[in-house]
Amino acid sequence: MSLPGDFLVLCRDRLGIEEVSDEGPMVPREQLVAFATALKDELDFRFFVTVVSVHYPEVEAVPADEEKGTEAVPGKPDCTQVCYRVRRLPNAERKTVVVPFRVYVPTGETTPSLAGVWVGADWQEREQYDLVGTVFADHPDLRRIMMPEDWVGHPLRRDYAIETAHFPWR
Amino acid sequence: MSYEVSESVEEGVQLVTVGGVTVPLGLTQAPWPDPHMDIDSYDPDADLMALNMGPQHPSTHGVLRVKLFLDGEVCVKAVPYLGYLHRGVEKLCEKLTYAQLTPIVDKNDYVSPMMNELAINMAIEKLIGAEVPPRAQYIRTICAEIQRVASHLLWLGTFGLDMGGAIGGGASIFMHTFREREMILDLFEELTGCRFHYNTHTPGGNRHDIPAGWDAKVRHVMDHISQRVEEYEDFVRDNPVFRARTVGVGVVDPLLAIELGISGPILRASGVDHDLRRDDPYMAYGDIELSVPVQTAGDCMARYLVRLAEMKESMRIATTLLDGVPEGPICSLKPVKLPGAVKAKEGSTYCAIESPRGELGTYIVANTERREHAHPYRCKLRPPSMHALQLLPYLAPGNNISDIIVVLGSLDPIMGEVDR
Repeated sequence: MSLPGDFLVLCRDRLGIEEVSDEGPMVPREQLVAFATALKDELDFRFFVTVVSVHYPEVEAVPADEEKGTEAVPGKPDCTQVCYRVRRLPNAERKTVVVPFRVYVPTGETTPSLAGVWVGADWQEREQYDLVGTVFADHPDLRRIMMPEDWVGHPLRRDYAIETAHFPWR
Repeated sequence: MSYEVSESVEEGVQLVTVGGVTVPLGLTQAPWPDPHMDIDSYDPDADLMALNMGPQHPSTHGVLRVKLFLDGEVCVKAVPYLGYLHRGVEKLCEKLTYAQLTPIVDKNDYVSPMMNELAINMAIEKLIGAEVPPRAQYIRTICAEIQRVASHLLWLGTFGLDMGGAIGGGASIFMHTFREREMILDLFEELTGCRFHYNTHTPGGNRHDIPAGWDAKVRHVMDHISQRVEEYEDFVRDNPVFRARTVGVGVVDPLLAIELGISGPILRASGVDHDLRRDDPYMAYGDIELSVPVQTAGDCMARYLVRLAEMKESMRIATTLLDGVPEGPICSLKPVKLPGAVKAKEGSTYCAIESPRGELGTYIVANTERREHAHPYRCKLRPPSMHALQLLPYLAPGNNISDIIVVLGSLDPIMGEVDR
């Protein structure tokens, strides 16, 4: 997948990111709304495709063991990556393109909502809040959308076991 | 708005270009209604009534619940509640291996299972870097197009029911379209052994090759259905009841639809010429010329016309492709014996196809760091119906209850796909 040139220029100018991977630039949370607005208004990425939260549980650090010859594994904190996809509708040459960008959210913190930029982010962010537990600050109506209102926990978190019984449905 | 705006006239329709998208000028209606309107701020003298529509009501296409605030018979605010059919498919996908995903996602959009299979298998193939042999590509494309016809036939039948039998009286159009749809299910039964939930796509290709004589049967069925589709057109072309219920009802603003992520027939009925099959070709679509039907009225009638034209186009594509099915293998990978045989490398991928309802996307994250080579680490299915349903709070205010049902029917939501 090759990303369009104007998107790479925007990443360089706004975020100072030179090398953009296929999974998209990691946008700092405080710049997210400004970056998204520029993407929509300046580069015409007006079609909201999707938002996906991916939860990564904590990884404990493992020190190096010289006897066994294993290397040290650095620890990682419990966090969520919120990945966005937006699309530019076909231009005169009839080509459409999707660009990714993502945000890193440590567990317990919030990320700005993009429902003010693309109205389509409204329900999608509600779904990610419901299932993964990402809290989107300034969302107009952050309620559960799939699970019952009184459900405890967020099922798509990696530490949420599906084999365990959950009140009151089992 | 800070965008560059330019106006032009084409075929009598005044067009406006806003932010790189050309749309009919008459349909843009900013500012849009506020779906989060505070109902207490509405006229205090009005006698408001809250009415619960669904979830167990045939006109809500499955189990959608809509809370309506009514002033007389006119809707003031509509709040959809989803989740009555939530089965946790995405969580299930994390527990299953790549080879086991196909039969699970079959059940999402139960009106067009072929599309679900195609979407997830294309994403898996992109992730693991598998090629699809040309013969399998053709079979997949033909199946997808026949499935589109079946899906639109079912839509037309249920749309007739939504309108209280305005097309041809009672449930007659429903019976007609289901009779034709049955022929398509028979075709799939001969190809895959199943009438529904085929499980015929697999990472790297197909499981089932075209049986002898199948192409002649497809041609016969397509011929038959094209004649019937013309008959449906005759049913309603000058039907005053149908026209009164659909013309000018539920006009969709294309700019709003784009921001909501709505694609497919709804967007094309609002004058936006966008079809992933042509604009981002996948499978065998690159080999043929596609004509994309577009309407500029944006109402329920326009969506009906677009779907009808799409059916004809799909039948043409299917029969054209049948002429040129290449010889060769139908799967590039070895037949899967062990469920964990398909392994992915680190990375993530997003892959989208044009389903009968719009852009059906699959987002898969593979994370080998946690020793999960054969399972998706996170699998997100992007259902077009859910995006289409987001239109309801914008379209419902100002409409009668009976019109809301027609508008909902014209959006063609499939709740199995919305709730997953």
